[in-house]
Amino acid sequence: MNISRREFNKIGFRVIIGAVAGKVIIEKLVVTKGIAAENSPKDGYDWKEHLWGYLVDTRKCIGCGRCANACKLENHVPFDEPVYRTWVERYRVLKDDEVKIDSPNGSIDGFEDDIPEEDIKKAFYVPKICNHCEVPPCVQVCPVGATYTTEDGVVLVDYDYCIGCRYCIQGCPYGARYFNMEKGTADKCTWCYHRITRGLLPACVQVCPVGARIFGDLKDTESEINKILDKERINVLKAELGTKPKVYYIGLDREVR
Amino acid sequence: MQPHMKRVVMLLVIAIIGFISVRALVVPDSFGQYGWYRGDSVADNRNNQIGHAESVSCSEENCHKTIYKIWVDSGHKTVNCETCHGPSQDHVSNIRITPQPADDSREFCGKCHFKRVARPSSFPQIEPEIHGENLKCAYCHNPHKPWFI
Repeated sequence: MNISRREFNKIGFRVIIGAVAGKVIIEKLVVTKGIAAENSPKDGYDWKEHLWGYLVDTRKCIGCGRCANACKLENHVPFDEPVYRTWVERYRVLKDDEVKIDSPNGSIDGFEDDIPEEDIKKAFYVPKICNHCEVPPCVQVCPVGATYTTEDGVVLVDYDYCIGCRYCIQGCPYGARYFNMEKGTADKCTWCYHRITRGLLPACVQVCPVGARIFGDLKDTESEINKILDKERINVLKAELGTKPKVYYIGLDREVR
Repeated sequence: MQPHMKRVVMLLVIAIIGFISVRALVVPDSFGQYGWYRGDSVADNRNNQIGHAESVSCSEENCHKTIYKIWVDSGHKTVNCETCHGPSQDHVSNIRITPQPADDSREFCGKCHFKRVARPSSFPQIEPEIHGENLKCAYCHNPHKPWFI
């Protein structure tokens, strides 16, 4: 192709002008209401003022399963299916150093002692829940943007937008997600987002009879959770994965995964 | 510009305009409002119905004030009303909807108080086989104020 300098410049400038104009048009058409991004959801709750956190004191948990029960009732999780937003695991280290981990019906029916006490070296309960990671692998793998982290640090699912591909369920290293057959979407703990944004506690925290679960605002320096985090020796699950969980644990054993 | 190049450019322009208009139709308005997700979904999640009211709502309007006063100083004060009585928001917003009576079976109390190896040893537990002769716990213990009836 033979082309003069003048002709080349002409085409070049057209391309540049076209690219700039195109970008403006796309922004006008597609990224509508860019200004609305400044506002948080209405009715007095400003999600920029909060960063929610969760603390589990495994030393207090008695494995009654009221948390898992209340969670299912509050959030309409299919009650008779083996899916849970929160559950309690029982760890039993036997005298021969074998570790038995179980959670029959997510702890809702309680636990039965099926191993004689003489064979057990130590035993304890560990409540589990979505960790609402700062770097959530489940959000990263969603192909349609149907799961996301809110400004106040809660990982939620968009049930209208989810296509039910289950990538997020596989992506979660904590097994905190499940497939909701009634909705046909992935589902997970929301820290009872409908409750905490109205000033209530998550249902599991509220019904815990021994105060093993503590919920609060990490941005509020006076909150109970911050006072405990400043004082106690805390840990998170699978810290080596770099997901930065916001569920903190007191009294984690090395066997807990 | 040569005619065949013109045609290519025209096709490209039509394709881009087509893509933009189809995308504008298909993608929800609130997508990208706060991030790479549908902004309205936050409100959807917030608008879920509340199931569990708080224990304080039981003493409001003088409904269950007597039992509330007994409970609030008792050994069971860390156990909220709904831990045993179940979600109560429906009943709080409409008193005609009566909730299920609390489960008063031995097994229900035993979910916390039967002896289990994994429980903290300081937590009060009983041997179900030798304690209480299969009577209901409430026969001797007041669940709202355990030990002293």
